[in-house]
Amino acid sequence: MIDIKGLITKRLFAIVSSLNNARLLSVFAMIIWLAGQTSFAGTGQIDVANKLVTKMIVEVESILSTDIDDEMARRKNVSALFDRYFDLPTIAKFSAGPYWRAADADQKTAYKAAIRDVIIGTVVRNFDRLSGLKFTATQSQAKGAQLVLVNGTFTDSNQQLPPIMVGWRVVTSNKAPPLILDVEIENISMLVTQKQENIAIIRKNEGRFAALIDAMKQRSQSNN
Amino acid sequence: MLFFGLLAACSSTHQDDRGDLRDTYENTNRKIFAFNMGVDSYVLEPVADGYRSNVPTAGRRAIDNHLDWAGLPSTALNSTIQGDLENATLATIHFAINGLTLGFADLTEDNRAVEKRDFGQTLARASVPEGDYLMVPLLGAHSSRNLVGRVVDTLTNPLSFYQAGNVGSAMRTAQIPARAVAFRANNFDTFNDIKYNSLDGYARTRSLYYQMRAGALRNSRDNLQAPSATDGQFDAFFDEPEQ
Repeated sequence: MIDIKGLITKRLFAIVSSLNNARLLSVFAMIIWLAGQTSFAGTGQIDVANKLVTKMIVEVESILSTDIDDEMARRKNVSALFDRYFDLPTIAKFSAGPYWRAADADQKTAYKAAIRDVIIGTVVRNFDRLSGLKFTATQSQAKGAQLVLVNGTFTDSNQQLPPIMVGWRVVTSNKAPPLILDVEIENISMLVTQKQENIAIIRKNEGRFAALIDAMKQRSQSNN
Repeated sequence: MLFFGLLAACSSTHQDDRGDLRDTYENTNRKIFAFNMGVDSYVLEPVADGYRSNVPTAGRRAIDNHLDWAGLPSTALNSTIQGDLENATLATIHFAINGLTLGFADLTEDNRAVEKRDFGQTLARASVPEGDYLMVPLLGAHSSRNLVGRVVDTLTNPLSFYQAGNVGSAMRTAQIPARAVAFRANNFDTFNDIKYNSLDGYARTRSLYYQMRAGALRNSRDNLQAPSATDGQFDAFFDEPEQ
């Protein structure tokens, strides 16, 4: 019988013995450096996401402080905010679900414009409700290699509303600047809700992606 | 019972035609949803609007407090079954202290310290399957598991057995419509946004319901780092090859 375990131990011992002390030190240093890099990447990712959300909140507060209940002005401000801080291509792709693959280039472009209008319209309609709320970041978590969930709480300065838990899902990547993908309010993801609604509409229309785009355009027009 | 009988008589919706695989009776559910929206338009929405406009904030808060207080025995009971004795104790203490005002005033001034627990959660923790999605007339969205849980919670709430004469009985009876009006009023704009502005109010309601229930199943006190209910969808999305 061959003692495989014993052979492996002897081989490892031989490798380690062949290295002199200086080499051993450099190997350990490399391991420590690599471990440090890994944790640094996680922390860096979280910092970048936190900064983005903080910057956006400051901008929202600034818009709210000068808001004069003019819908046109609100729409302009919210549109600019959305384009600066939100990841429209990923939002579009995610919210279309499996139907994104089957859509042609024109449909994808039309859908991106339609979903942008729907989201901006929703924010504009509910803009008043942000007034008096103060955001306090709590604890952010890296969710895999590309996402960070920036958690926080909205508290009502007038103490009329209970605190609201909010999470901003930020896409962080080395290739592009960080952008927000989703907002979770009290454990409810706005993007997942939109996706499930979209899928229901496409299914009701026998899998026609164009039917969703039409429905979104009609909804945006009737709300304007 | 009548509802289950009616539902059993309905044919299930073909899998390919469902917006969600858990929604076996989607066609019937959509009809019931339309009925519920009609009731909302003619009854609940105007009543909730009047309630918001005419009852001062302090009065509305007192009613919310009382409704929360009335649910504390169920929370204590279900927390005990789920093994969360800390929450059970907190619920019992809050119930006893606020009971001095029948729950209308929150004397503890920290009612969010107690996490609401229901029998639907208890069943989920016991790995009872979620079952089908059901739109119940007047009661709204439920999974079959949570509908059973709701019935059990109503039947086992100690307040149901408490004999307090006509006044107590009237208060218990009034709790059901009061709960509906208070919920509608507290979520007035959100509810109206779903009702009047969504592309498919039924699908949106179903999605919100499932996410809310999944959120309720996360024990935030013990498990702050637990994955959220939607993490899996984002993980799957980013794992897909580029298109």
